[in-house]
Amino acid sequence: MSKSANIAAAGHALWANTPKVNTELFALTYGSLITEILRDYDQDISEVNVQLERIGHSIGVRCVDELLAKSEVNGINIPMCRDLRETAEVIAKIGFRMFLGVNCDVGKLTDKSFSLYLSENPLNIFVELPSMSEDEGGSGPDWNQLKYSNIYCGVIRGALEQVNLKVECSFVRDVLRGDEVNEIRVNVKEVLAEGAGEDYHEE
Amino acid sequence: MNNYTPTSGSTPRRKSLVLVGTPTNVSEPAFEYLLSSMLHWVEQECERQYTKKKTLEAAQLQTKNININTEAEADTNDNDNDNKEHNYSNTEMEENKQNEMKQKETERMVMIAENAAAKMERMGYDVGYRLSERLVQNKQMTPVTQNNKSPSPAMLQLEAMKFICKEFWTEVFRKQIDKLQTNHRGVFVLKDLQFRWLQRLPGDVELARIMAIKILAYPCGLVRGALANLGIVAVVSCDFLADGKNMSACSFNIKVKA
Repeated sequence: MSKSANIAAAGHALWANTPKVNTELFALTYGSLITEILRDYDQDISEVNVQLERIGHSIGVRCVDELLAKSEVNGINIPMCRDLRETAEVIAKIGFRMFLGVNCDVGKLTDKSFSLYLSENPLNIFVELPSMSEDEGGSGPDWNQLKYSNIYCGVIRGALEQVNLKVECSFVRDVLRGDEVNEIRVNVKEVLAEGAGEDYHEE
Repeated sequence: MNNYTPTSGSTPRRKSLVLVGTPTNVSEPAFEYLLSSMLHWVEQECERQYTKKKTLEAAQLQTKNININTEAEADTNDNDNDNKEHNYSNTEMEENKQNEMKQKETERMVMIAENAAAKMERMGYDVGYRLSERLVQNKQMTPVTQNNKSPSPAMLQLEAMKFICKEFWTEVFRKQIDKLQTNHRGVFVLKDLQFRWLQRLPGDVELARIMAIKILAYPCGLVRGALANLGIVAVVSCDFLADGKNMSACSFNIKVKA
């Protein structure tokens, strides 16, 4: 499976070549963003999830350009993905590796969907979701509904949109809720036609 | 590849209390994108809240006006006269209306910008507060005194400032502050001539200046939060020192509250 090995090696090489920033700063910044969103939306958890996904979308759009540009600069050739498995591998092994330095695995691959497994998540290193106390009853927000790292779903959706894949991502399992691993489920909705119209096609 | 091998990047001088295996660094683009998306979101949010507030006010004004109008109609019988007077000053009213709209528009932009900056500063405060707590753990900060006297508040402030300029700035921006000036009476000026987050802005572009000022709200909060955790209450403001060529020079003015 030399192709997988190449993809993994590319991920490591790109990670080694990017300038780095302290993880704690990153995690704390994200935490303060979540606090701010919660404050602005009156602790409406579902709305917070939506906002996080939207913010992630604009980040994802730029991540794709960064990935392709940096790999060109470093002389790493990422061949065009011929099927969904290769796309998933590139996201997991190159994308997550070069931006966050974490290992990410692909699984549950079908024709139209795949899962990404994240064992370490730099965003939630300091985080603990508050538990619902029994006296409050139903008055406090349901913290279990908060998808803390939902920004990743937006990033993946935005990035794949730039390469003409319309997908839906959601967080299926979350370490903050007690599961062992973070699992993101990605479903391909459709393959979009080329963005610009016929007028823009090169002769 | 199922085994995770830790990446190089953990700093040996500080013990990381983070879970074993999670890297101590993320890539700079990841953080930069997060920060700029946050800025964008904060602006949109402030705009939304401002519009909401204004429509609410307008609605309340509307109901008030309706109440006044019904009272007026009940009192007077000369409605026709009133209408004639209004027609004469129509053009005047148009001009006034336009001026009013321009005024409202500038007021709106200014309010939104101020709210956005305040929000970013508040977020920076939280982050700076927590980050400095982590960074101070292994550092000893006993100022050198003559004759074993207990250090004066001014010396303690200076020690705190040196911490910010060296350790804090290094952790956050991978470099130290270039110049520290003080008047020994609670005012400090920190100059960074190659501020990382502003380095990619194009020179001589007015929009870049505006963006730079927006971006600088966050580090002001970072410094204020870090100082607060060290027990120093201060007001932090920032100035943009760019001269058209070097867009990344800036200075932070810190006034310690006596």
